[in-house]
Amino acid sequence: MKFRGKITDIACLNHFTTFSRILKSAVCLNEADPLCSGVVTTISKLTKTCVLRLTPDHLFFILPGKVTNGGVGMWCQLLQANFFQEYQMEGVTSEVQEICLEVSPEPWSRALKTVQSAKSVKLKLTRKHCACLTVAAELPTLSSVGRVVTHDVPVDVIPRRLWQEFQEVGVPDFDVSVYLPPLKTMKSVVDRMKNLSNFLVMEANLNGDMNLKIQTDLVSVTTHFKDLGNPAGGDVSSQDGGPSQSRDPEVMAEVTVDIRKLQQFLMGQQVNPSKALCNIVHQNVVHLVLLHEDVSLQYFIPAVA
Amino acid sequence: MYGSIVLTINCVCFTALGKAIHALSRIGNELWLDPMVKGLALRSVNSAHSAYGCFLFSPMFFKHYSLESGSKQGSKAIKCKLVMKSVLPLFRCLTSIERSVERCHMSVSTATDRVIIQFFCRHGIIKTHNIHFQESEALQAVFDSHLCANVLKAPARLLADMVVHFPLFQEEITLSITPMKVTLRNYQQGGKGPMKTMYTEMSLHPNEFDYFQIGLDSDITFCLKELRGILSFAESRSLPVSVYLDAAGKPVCFSVEDMVLEATVLLATVTDSDSRDHSQPTESLTPKISRCISSPAQPVAMSQGPGSRSYTVPDELIASSQGSPVISCPGAMRLPQIREQTCLSVDSQECTSSTSSPASTKVCSLLFNALSSQQDQDGCAAQLPVLACYSDEENADDNPRSPSQ
Repeated sequence: MKFRGKITDIACLNHFTTFSRILKSAVCLNEADPLCSGVVTTISKLTKTCVLRLTPDHLFFILPGKVTNGGVGMWCQLLQANFFQEYQMEGVTSEVQEICLEVSPEPWSRALKTVQSAKSVKLKLTRKHCACLTVAAELPTLSSVGRVVTHDVPVDVIPRRLWQEFQEVGVPDFDVSVYLPPLKTMKSVVDRMKNLSNFLVMEANLNGDMNLKIQTDLVSVTTHFKDLGNPAGGDVSSQDGGPSQSRDPEVMAEVTVDIRKLQQFLMGQQVNPSKALCNIVHQNVVHLVLLHEDVSLQYFIPAVA
Repeated sequence: MYGSIVLTINCVCFTALGKAIHALSRIGNELWLDPMVKGLALRSVNSAHSAYGCFLFSPMFFKHYSLESGSKQGSKAIKCKLVMKSVLPLFRCLTSIERSVERCHMSVSTATDRVIIQFFCRHGIIKTHNIHFQESEALQAVFDSHLCANVLKAPARLLADMVVHFPLFQEEITLSITPMKVTLRNYQQGGKGPMKTMYTEMSLHPNEFDYFQIGLDSDITFCLKELRGILSFAESRSLPVSVYLDAAGKPVCFSVEDMVLEATVLLATVTDSDSRDHSQPTESLTPKISRCISSPAQPVAMSQGPGSRSYTVPDELIASSQGSPVISCPGAMRLPQIREQTCLSVDSQECTSSTSSPASTKVCSLLFNALSSQQDQDGCAAQLPVLACYSDEENADDNPRSPSQ
């Protein structure tokens, strides 16, 4: 089992930085310290580990979660050719060209933070005090010799019998699919709502309407978004391709979610994705899909019991 | 009104004062205020006596600085020991202080045992804080940086860029220098812990430093947390930081200075043999004395009073050869302070105070002798030869104290 990759192109490094920022938001729940430099215990109440899956063509970063869909909370996928100038891997066996590693989110995001200011990065699977993913970044300096920062991030190799949890997740049979409003707007709304309630109702219909609602004893607040648009094939019936009854476009599909999970998702979205949509399975799960140039990110937020 | 006021200062650049207090709060729980003719020294030391900080503000730093000497009491300048928790909150939010406070007035009243700090704010508001102090022996570490084999000097920014890669919870780091490379890495405790830790290493070329003198390749391990305070202070004043280091076991000194102030942080370092050999038995109760002590050429000792006496390990306890460990007699030892750095207690060996040394063999080098006024120390001190060299910044002008104090 071997892996080594190298990123030397500045543009690719910038893209990788975007990717790492997204990841960082996903792994960091401590709002007071969004850069993950705070106390370790506050992090990972919801995510204890992250899974890095390497195939010859793709890099997947998976946050397991207790969700209906195959146990995945977040799924991030990138085409390695768009990032790496060099990429070599050998899977666990000669037939199985894949490696699955479990890594702790806090050190991993710290290592990625270094990458943000680097001028080149090398990733390598190594064995030091334990199995490690070594991130070696060369930082720019004024002198002729650069600074080198090496992080040996401890990893656990995930045995093959557990791999089925981390395979490609199919798109769920959703009831409504709608494009998301500007994420910054959503974030400011959700940030304020979080002060009032722990639970939020997300609902949307096939008319391009979406509402975010919270309700407490004293107050209820709803934010309405209109004319968002629905992706083609935006409901179950058109997915099947069958002529069965189509859904009434006015009817909302709704899910009640833990507001912190939605906030976690929104926290890292500093760059506007090229595409952002939301699939809702009524009373079941919210499936958020973002496409940033070379990175595709899927996020599952389950309904609260 | 306050009885005998022995010190009055008026300060407009209290940001620097506040940052100095912040830096010292990272070192110890008590703040020593030492008003002297040559300036006001703020000092602190940690409970393990493995970290010491001193910020000396010359009278020119203040708008007004007056020291009552030869006052009615006949005693010389007072040394005040304050609880850090009482002082730090006053300077906590420096940005808001900068906005609202016009000047800061500080005075020391011996009649009431109070340090009075007044903030003259906008709109005529005056905030007065009376903080109780304990009279104390001076706290001073004597360290001759000229004897260090290696000297580095770099802008604070460079050092900050080096430590940024390490998390705030990182306790110790190891600094290695050779003529070709300077490396900083997190200190790995020997053996395996329940968690696998991330290992980070950063290296850069010596030519990034403004000044780089290397006499000896060395690997020193010290506590990073205690260093961050002075780095942040230096960055805020855009001052270069000088680093004086020698072999493992000898203290490392970080200092900054400009026309009106000098700041120094001295940190003990892990001794060489400990860092290499992790399988040493941990049951030993007598502390190993580090090489630093056994080499009289470079003792680091606390001076008892304002410089008139200072001492280090009595000769009879020093091993004949540099490298051999010394088993000392705890009773006769002048060094109850040799103990594990609190920051090295990752082994889950607690750093115990005073006489009993911890079971762990990770011993740091001696920095200080007893600080608090203990009569027996005073008595013994007189008999011991003065081995320490005085460092320029500390002792030159201090008035000798009367032995009765």
